[in-house]
Amino acid sequence: MNRPTDPRSVVMNLPRRDAQDKLTGRTRYTSDLAGVEVLHAAIVRSTVASARILRMDFSPAIAMKGVRAIAQASDAPGLFGIGIADHPLLNGTRIRFKGEPLAAIAADTLDIARAAAAAVIIETEPLPAVMTMADALAPGAPQVHPEWKSYELLREGGIRGGNIAWEARVTRGDTDAAFARPDVTIVEDCFQVGRQNQLPFEPRCAVASYEDGRYHIHTSTQVPWTVRAVTAKTLGVSASRVRVTVPAVGGGFGLKFDCTIEPIAAILAQKTGRTVSLVHSREEENLTCLCRENAEVRIRSAVTAEGDIVGREATVLMDCGAYGGEQVFLTTMTAHTLGGNYKLGSVRMNSRAVYTNTPPNGAFRACNGVYNTFFLERHTDNIAKAIGMHPMEFRRRAVLGDGDIGATGQVFQGEVLRPMLERMAALRDKTPDCREQADGRLYGRATTVGTWFIFVGPSSATVNLNADGSATLVTSGVEIGSGTMVQSLPQIVAATLGLSPDEVIVKAADTDAAGRDLGVGGGRATVSIGAASKMAAERVRDQILDIAAEMLQAQPEDLVLTQGRVEIAGRPGTGMPITTAIARAEALHGPVSGNGNFTAPGVQAMPGCAAGHFIDAIDIPVFAVHDCEVAVDPDTGHVDVLSYKVVQDVGLALNPRAIHSQIQGGVVQGLGYALHEKITIGLDGGLEQPGFEHYLVPLACDVVPVKIDLYEGAPSIGPLGTKGAGEVPILNVGATVACAVSRAIERDVWELPLTPPQVLSVLQGRTGRMDHSHLSAVWQENLLEFVAPHRSLDHS
Amino acid sequence: MPIELNINGDTITLEIDPRTPLLDVLRDRQRLTGAKAVCREGFCGACTVHVDGQPVPSCLRPVGMLQGCRIVTVEGLAPSGTLNRVQQAFIDHDVVQCGMCFPGMVMTLTEFLDREPSPSRDQIKTALVGNICRCTGYERIIDAVLSMQTEAAK
Repeated sequence: MNRPTDPRSVVMNLPRRDAQDKLTGRTRYTSDLAGVEVLHAAIVRSTVASARILRMDFSPAIAMKGVRAIAQASDAPGLFGIGIADHPLLNGTRIRFKGEPLAAIAADTLDIARAAAAAVIIETEPLPAVMTMADALAPGAPQVHPEWKSYELLREGGIRGGNIAWEARVTRGDTDAAFARPDVTIVEDCFQVGRQNQLPFEPRCAVASYEDGRYHIHTSTQVPWTVRAVTAKTLGVSASRVRVTVPAVGGGFGLKFDCTIEPIAAILAQKTGRTVSLVHSREEENLTCLCRENAEVRIRSAVTAEGDIVGREATVLMDCGAYGGEQVFLTTMTAHTLGGNYKLGSVRMNSRAVYTNTPPNGAFRACNGVYNTFFLERHTDNIAKAIGMHPMEFRRRAVLGDGDIGATGQVFQGEVLRPMLERMAALRDKTPDCREQADGRLYGRATTVGTWFIFVGPSSATVNLNADGSATLVTSGVEIGSGTMVQSLPQIVAATLGLSPDEVIVKAADTDAAGRDLGVGGGRATVSIGAASKMAAERVRDQILDIAAEMLQAQPEDLVLTQGRVEIAGRPGTGMPITTAIARAEALHGPVSGNGNFTAPGVQAMPGCAAGHFIDAIDIPVFAVHDCEVAVDPDTGHVDVLSYKVVQDVGLALNPRAIHSQIQGGVVQGLGYALHEKITIGLDGGLEQPGFEHYLVPLACDVVPVKIDLYEGAPSIGPLGTKGAGEVPILNVGATVACAVSRAIERDVWELPLTPPQVLSVLQGRTGRMDHSHLSAVWQENLLEFVAPHRSLDHS
Repeated sequence: MPIELNINGDTITLEIDPRTPLLDVLRDRQRLTGAKAVCREGFCGACTVHVDGQPVPSCLRPVGMLQGCRIVTVEGLAPSGTLNRVQQAFIDHDVVQCGMCFPGMVMTLTEFLDREPSPSRDQIKTALVGNICRCTGYERIIDAVLSMQTEAAK
């Protein structure tokens, strides 16, 4: 039965059910679980970036009183990774970055574990290292993975070789012809960005035990099913022997797609028969943080005087650090982020994940999109300037509209970006500008656009309708703070079943209870888990309506579930409490439950456009328009953000107040990225910001209230037309601030973050035009030869 | 020498290394995990508790310095099952996200508002300079605090 749930019954500013415990200190996060009754573990880490391990002597550690077990490379034989299995859990042979885990020790107390870890004798022979992407790409550069050809490929179609972990390309149309046209202006730019630390307040941590021959891991993760799979793969055991449960998570922002802590805790639990807690110290957490990667680009465009982009070429370098990780997958995204926003007559783009002897990078809110949007929007301003068109006018003409095709040839549906630009213009008109607040400083303002997407993929859900009229929702969802588990999911299920959201119990992730799920991130939770939950609830609803129809001698389609009752539509009070129908259903058939599932529908791309891509098209595009005013102090280079405005494409806003919170928080993380969150890498290959003293995140006095307009109604396959709203707010903050600063100082801005010394250097002309000599101006020269897939995957 | 202090109304005696941070005593020995060990350097404020009425980062207070002190943690701020007005304002305005910073925020703002009942927006922001939040972007926290004055004026 296909009866639509009325969106009006689902939209509400539902408060969070977890707020009271979080505010009174009662919530137990993973890092709060372990007391003195359990063992505590510490990791033995490399102190150099590149070396062969000659000998590891654990005897001084073993001799210490209170040491219970040691985990080492031989305990975790399997390599893991995304696309390529290149990553050992514990390295016993060849060190590839400073801080790499080599072993781990469980002891009666954390102090003993740390002392024992420090006592392990490690003899190494230094190997040459590459610390930057330019070094890694130089002819004859030392290889981070000389054995790269022998790695298991987890995904076919990869283009790789030497220090190029993965290359993803897109080619549509004839760019050579476009650039050769006599009527075009050619604009070429190079840009770069540094790393950004997610810095969730709860570090990566896990508490593991070994029960009835199975590993049980409590962990602070966004991806319980990935933890289950990676633990099994590294330990070489069946995945069915791993159970993952997830308490409240103290922030994720993408970092907790990582799975390097959990299998170590699992090994130590199995060896000791005890519960083992492994919690990163702040220093460990920061120095091995799987940051948003540093990246570099060369981009050039051929543009007509009317503002048509007839050709675009770009090569993006993404530093994956010592292991491929997320960056391998994220190479795919360049086509949709740097290749997004605008209509392109022809395009070719190449995105390369590059190995270096530095700590591996990872996923961070709107990964890949944040810097590519900075690159794209600054490049767009330069194009507008070169052809003498106002940057807003250029954007109004050039943005993607209904029926336009994206970089990989997918057809965009609906006119979204252009009306969003209109809405931003209206929002700007409503509030006076802040020019006066600049008070003698240099004033700048910019409006930018951004294209992101919802990373859909598989989710499952079960709804049990209980005899008391409440419902229990069982999914693998995780509450990382964004509110999905405490707001949008109970809202969706409650609306479908005519209950109030507080009558919907939401079970926290437990891989023994719920089906497989891709995890919470990529803006997907409300969409994918929400769709599965809605389907499960609808199946429950249909059973109840059938039963009630018999009891009321009515047709099921004439009945509605509302306020805990089954009613004949339009005739309130004629039906019965839902508990009466449940009791009847239980008597006839047994307890009432329903299952739901969801996966990516797979939007069509143009055949042959993309190579090395994990996805060919984006299932749910999401657009954002941001506007920012800045004042720049010409004497110090300090940038003050005076105002910030966001128009965000949200599909349907299930909980507008919660979305506003996500936008305020996401924008502020973006301001940190744009202005002062700076990570440097030392000559020894180590990150140089071990704590909050040197890694500067925004404080209350650094931020402004964001003015927000939620744009509803754009097409979405999400349940009730929703789109994820939590990931995208950070997308074009770096871009918008950079464009505003560039206009304020009337100089090109090539790099983020715009720290005062950086801005002053640009302002005073000490920073010249950026030119990446390791990125050829001839696009084809930045390509690897295609290497045939590994034989074992050659099914032909 | 044994160290005697009062935590949330209970007097306890500790025979431990006097250099042990108060934070570790609270979390490991008393299992009061409301104070969070986030930076352990005094910057983030997530471990803020009241020592003799003053909000301090408990990671930077060796227990040996706290002989006879009265400690109140977020668990002891209001009688069990009730909320103080800062906590209530945060619920009413739905400002919590991951929640790790909020125990510290509550401790800082509760004492601040006792001292400064009608603060300006800028004064609240300055009061929060030692409390970092990575999720919320602060402004809605400030809105919630300002709303308390409006409520009080009614």
